[in-house]
Formats: sequence, structure tokens, C-alpha cells
Amino acid sequence: MVQSPIGNKRVSESTLAIRVRNVSKSFPGVQALRKVSFVLETGEVHGLVGANGAGKSTFIRMLSGASTPDTGDIEVQGLPISFEDPRAQRNNGIAAIYQELTIIPEMSALSNVFLGEVPNRWFIVDRRGMEKRFHELALWMGVKISPHAKANTLSVANQQMLEIMRAVHAEHDVIIMDEPTAPLGPFERSRLYELIGRLKENNVSIIFISHDLDEVLRLCDRVSVMRDGQLIETRASAAWTKDTLVKSMLGDIQIVPGRKRERGRVKELLGVQNLSLPGKVSGISFELGEGDVLGIAGLVGAGRTEVLRSVAGLEPLAEGRMTIDGRECAWPQSVRDAIERGIALAPEDRKREGLVLSRSALSNLLLADIGSVSKGPVLSPGARRAAATMLARQIGFDPKRLDTDALHLSGGNQQKLVIGKWLHRRPRILLLDEPTRGIDLGAKQEIFQTIRSLSDEGMGVILVSSDLEEVVEHADRILVVARGKQIATLDGHEASVERVLNLIFAVEDRPAAVGVN
Amino acid sequence: MNTARPVTPPVAAWRDQLPTLVRVYGIILTLVLLVAVVGIGNPAFLSGQNIFNMLSQWAPAGIMAVGMTFVILTGGFDLSVASGYSLCAVVAAYVGQDYPPTIAFGAAIVVGLLFGLANGLLVAVVRINPFITTVGSGFVINGVALVMTKNAAFLVDNPDFGTLGAGRWHGIPYSGMLLILFLLVFGFILARTIYGEAIYSVGGNYEASRLSGIRVRTVVASTYVVLGGCVGLAGSIIASQLSSAQANLDPGIIFDVLTIVVVGGTSLSGGTGAMWRTVVGLGIIATISNGFVLLDISPYYQSIIKGAIIVAALALDGGLTRLVRAK
Repeated sequence: MVQSPIGNKRVSESTLAIRVRNVSKSFPGVQALRKVSFVLETGEVHGLVGANGAGKSTFIRMLSGASTPDTGDIEVQGLPISFEDPRAQRNNGIAAIYQELTIIPEMSALSNVFLGEVPNRWFIVDRRGMEKRFHELALWMGVKISPHAKANTLSVANQQMLEIMRAVHAEHDVIIMDEPTAPLGPFERSRLYELIGRLKENNVSIIFISHDLDEVLRLCDRVSVMRDGQLIETRASAAWTKDTLVKSMLGDIQIVPGRKRERGRVKELLGVQNLSLPGKVSGISFELGEGDVLGIAGLVGAGRTEVLRSVAGLEPLAEGRMTIDGRECAWPQSVRDAIERGIALAPEDRKREGLVLSRSALSNLLLADIGSVSKGPVLSPGARRAAATMLARQIGFDPKRLDTDALHLSGGNQQKLVIGKWLHRRPRILLLDEPTRGIDLGAKQEIFQTIRSLSDEGMGVILVSSDLEEVVEHADRILVVARGKQIATLDGHEASVERVLNLIFAVEDRPAAVGVN
Repeated sequence: MNTARPVTPPVAAWRDQLPTLVRVYGIILTLVLLVAVVGIGNPAFLSGQNIFNMLSQWAPAGIMAVGMTFVILTGGFDLSVASGYSLCAVVAAYVGQDYPPTIAFGAAIVVGLLFGLANGLLVAVVRINPFITTVGSGFVINGVALVMTKNAAFLVDNPDFGTLGAGRWHGIPYSGMLLILFLLVFGFILARTIYGEAIYSVGGNYEASRLSGIRVRTVVASTYVVLGGCVGLAGSIIASQLSSAQANLDPGIIFDVLTIVVVGGTSLSGGTGAMWRTVVGLGIIATISNGFVLLDISPYYQSIIKGAIIVAALALDGGLTRLVRAK
């Protein structure tokens, strides 16, 4: 360690890998980060936990230079970093390994490791040098990957290793890992833990993000909790317990008791028995009554989206028994099948799967029912506008903006359209996948108002959201899933965020549980 | 900057909208300028006689551009039209040697519809990339025409055979009337029918359209069939105009067809564009070509100028798009 002749303060600063002071960042309508201060010591494994939307992603994007803070400053190895020049950021010595891996599937393992800085002599690729270095890295990290294997033939775990190799090769001092263990099985996890230990011995600092709290407590030296864009607290791991972590993550939420309906004798609308989708979900059973709001709670990747997609006819491999109005019917094999049964899906990815961005709000509102407002094959513009205006009012969308292209609308307004486009068809069962992701509070309220009035009219709604509070508040019943399995069905009034989390973590923790590949 | 505020002063609104207006309608400005330049340079350009001749001359490419607009709007592409055009002309001439012209032209259109259907099924159902599909089918179609003709020209001596391509009513060519009719009818279909709305939706976002219950594969495949029919008619018109046909009639016509659609501003990525844009594109290309002759420009310079105008029109379009986005 370099000893500094100048006073104490200087010495302490030189042992800091990253120092963040009072960083804030806002996006239109959202304060993503609020005066976050954070210290990463050299050779430390620092856990970062928080609920979805707490600001973790924004925070690490900022550290890795992918986005710029509005106010505050960041020092790396004691030097302030400027956000003027994107190339300078890249040389900060910080590598981030996101959940979405930046691996080029068609290229070899070798090429992926040296991506962006191919060793060369006079611009001729130094292949032998690359292979030698690859073997050095592989040996040190304890990975067995053929340098010539195409990246897309490797397991997710090995692809992840390639990214870590890339970071180690570039001798980065800080590696940020965003939920690296989520796609890994128990054996692959322990291999990653070992590697993290070895990196630590070599004075590499690591920021480790995970929803698996036991893992975080076991692996990390210190753990910081984020909530609502703020860094709430940093403590040594020994000073945390799983309970205190969960409490800190959630804060003192006032769960407003939503309008919970007593589950009396409601007419059954949809019954699903033993739904399975090979490799994704199995043994899911539930029923949905008229006017019911059924929430599905679970971690990302637990199979929530797959359940919705299967019911909506998007997964041809899905199997199970479906009853509608108590009558058994064949499992829907296509979107049109599902629509015929009165089932409609508002998908998670608004821009890719929900809307035609190049078309007006009006066109999008009638997208799912193009043929309805016409004389024979010819559209009736006046009637279309009238129908769209009515739909717009129903979902809280400003009818004056009907002619705006969907591309230019805010996330909240886009989401209203994704839901609204189904309403002209009057589906009986509406499936909502993450209807409030990334939208502001006002729009959220309006969307839940819409959901309520729809359910008052007798529509059955299935709600998937990563925001557990939301699910607990608005669902009449909650189906808890973990690792593709149904672990409980709670009645709305007996559910709480804590209870749901405990149920989920009880399963997701157990390393012996049937692994995801 | 003003997007968040609902009410904006009228002057500012007009200024803000200027780039959008120029982007949306700027291509019309290009056409007007070209027409003015050529018209001032040689007033004969605007004479009825000249305009009728242009209509007749551009009827085959224009009619194929109508079908191509449908295909491109769904995000597709068809490179087999030049081969198809020749094959349909050959079929028309072959059948026209022994049978009445209506049967000959009907046969050509049926052949066009059939290879359109084949292209459509390969692209939409087998899901092969449209570029590759139509390069391949283009070779096959061209081969069929070569086998049929043994690379010789079919001549038709029935005078009635020439009516479709060369006949006129009060000086107005039938082929030109058909071109205008196609532009109007298919323009209406695109802008005002369920089918047209579905084409825009599928081209704008295939997945979202599928998840909304639109029969996406049928929509995509059908546009190739529409184009095939247009190619059949275009082949009939050229065979009629020439009273003959051969296997390699005009391989370069594919570039005219694509240029007409794209210069008008219909996006190759699908979902945005319109039939009026194809009308404007056709006007621009026809004016440039005719202008060269009327202004007596050396053939050596023609392709340089033509290419420069096309690229300039698209660059203007792209530049303005960025300008609008930056706002």
C-alpha cells in the first residue's frame, strides 16, 4: 500500500476505490436518485440491496459512466471523474456486468474476451498472444472454456465468466455485478463466490447486487440498502440480519387497505389447473371470478410472465386444463384463440409488444379491434374518433392527444393505450404484465382507477407487478410463485409485503431447490 | 421543450411545426421545384401531349410501384419484380399469339398473382428474409421466362393486342388511365380501409400487431399477392406497347420501382409512408427523366444528376428527421 506523507485524510482517501458524494438524478416525472453518498473501499465486496425501482440500476449506470448525475460528484481512486468525455469514463477502471450480458453470441469465446481492445501488432491481430492471455486468465479464474467455442453455445454461467474475464484482462479495479447469481444453479453460484473471493484478494473491489439476502450477508463485507432513490444505510454485514435488511428495504410503508372484496359467492370466470410450460413453470392452478383481481407475486424470472403468456395463447408448448364459465375448453394455442375466449394480454414491453409507435394514439386504441368501426371493409373515421374518445375517457387519456403518435407519448400515457386498446372488445379477462413499470405516480393512480372500474363491471383481472406493495394493495387474492412453482395463494386481507417476501425467500434461498438449469 | 405545456402561443407553435411540416411535405416542394425548372426550360414539358406520353411511358413502373408501396409498408421488400415483369410480358405475348388479348392479359395477371403468392408464403409463413427470398425467386422466374422463350422474342401481330398499351381515348392513353385508377383505388384502400390500417400496424410493429390479434402473416403475404397482380398488369401493358416480349425485357426497372417508392418518403423499415408519396416519387422520377430529354442534357451527365437528386432528396429527409427529433 502506498504510504502518503501528507496527513491522515489523504491516506484514508487513497484506500477508497470509489467515493460518491450527494449524487442526484431525475428523469421526467421521477426523482431516480436523491443525494446518494456512498463509499467503496479497496478490496471490499459491497452488497447493494433494495426493492425494484429503488434506484440501484440508475446508481450503477452512473458509476459505470453510462449516465450522468444532475448534481454531486464521483471520485474514483481519489480522482474526480468528469462526465464530459465518454471515452474517459470508460478508462475509469470500472467494469459493470449487467443482467443483460454484453456478449456477442455469434463470436468465439476468445473474441468476446478481447472485445473492443484486440491485441495487435501493426493492426494485425495477435492471435497467439490472445490465446496465451486467455489461458492465463482461465487458469487463474478456474474456468474451463474452449477459446474457440461460439459464445452462444456456452451456458449463461460461462458467458458471464467471459465478461468477468474481460474485466480481469483489462485490470479493472472495480467490478459491478448486477444480480449475477439470478440465472445460476447452486454449483455455478459457489464457483462465482470463489472467484469473487480471489478477486478480492487481488484488491479488486466489487459491488454485488442480489435479491438473495442470505447470499448477500454471507458474501459481502458491507451491505447498503437503497429505497426510493435514497441510500438508506450502510452497515457491516455482521451488523445486519435478514429481518433488519427486509425492514430497511421496505421502510415504514403505510399500506393503505385497498378495497378488499370478501371472497363470497362470485361466479367463476376462468379456471386454470396444472398449467405447465416445460422449463419455465409447472403445476400452476388458480381460479378467477367475475370482478376478481388476482395478483401474481414473485421475483423476476420466477415464471410470472410465462403464466400470463400461456393463458394468453402465446406459448404453444403450454399445457394444462382451462375452464371458462365452468366449462372445460382447449388450451388457447394462439392470440386469436385467447381473444375468442375473451382473454386479453397487456404485455410488459409496451414499446416492443404493446404499441405501434409510428401510429397515432387513436389507431393504437383501435388496434385490437380494427374491423369493428367500419362500413364493410371501409373505415368510418367519424365513428372511429367517437369510439376512441370514449375509450380515452375510460382510461384517463386526454382525448385532445388522440392524433399524437404513440412514440411521442409518456410512458404513463403509452401504458394507458396498451390497456385501452383491449377495452373496445370488452374482454372478460384482462391480463396485465407490469402495468406500472417506469411510470409516474399520477399515471399509476389512473391506471389502478381504470382497473377498479373494470373489475366493478365484472371483468376478471390478473395483475403481475414487481412492486409488491402494489400487488398487496390492489389484489383480492395473491398467487405467490418462485422458481416456476406456485408456493401459496393468499387472500388479500391476510397478505402483506413481508409475508409474501418471506414465502418467496424461503424457496429462492434453498440451494437444493430444483434449479433453473 | 414545449411538449409538456398544453397551450403554446400560435406563433411559436407554427415555428415549432415548421420542421415537421417540411419533413412531411418537403418532398412535394422538391417536385414543384423540378417541374418549375423543367417547365421554364422547355414549356413543352407541361403540354397535354407530353404529359399523356409520360403517363403511358411510366404506367408499367408506376403500377408496380403501387404494389411495392404495400410490400414496403409492411417492412418487406421484393427484388423479383423485374423478372416477374418480363415473365408476365412473355406470357401475355405467348398467349396473345393465339387467343384474344383479354385472355392473354388475364393469363399474365394470373401468373403474376401466383408468383406473388409464392413470394408471400415464403416470406410470411416460412419466414425467410424477403430480400433473399425474392432474389432467389427472381432467378427462378427469370429462368422460367428463358425456358419459355429460348431467349427469343415473341411477336404478336394481332392489332387488338396493342390497344391496352398504346390505345388512347381523346388523346389520353388507356395505360395512363389505369395507372391513375390504381393509384387512386389502392391509395384509398391504404388510407381508408381495415386492410390498409392493418398494413400500417403490421409494418409499424409486427409483434404488437400479432399480440393484438391481427392476422399478421395473412396481411404480409397478401401484399406480395397485390404486388404480383400489379406486376402482371405492368407486364401486359409493356407487351401490348411493344407488341412483343422477351425474357430480359428491362432488368433495371426494379430500381425505378424502388426509387419511386422510397424517394416519395415511404420508409424501408415499414409502417410509415403513403400512396400520395408514391405519386410524388413517380412525379419526381418521371420529371427528371423527361427533363433530360427536353432540356437536351448530355446522356453522360444524366445518371450523375439523377443519382444526385435522389440522394439529396433522401438526405434532406433524414436531416430534417434528426432536426425534429433533436427538438
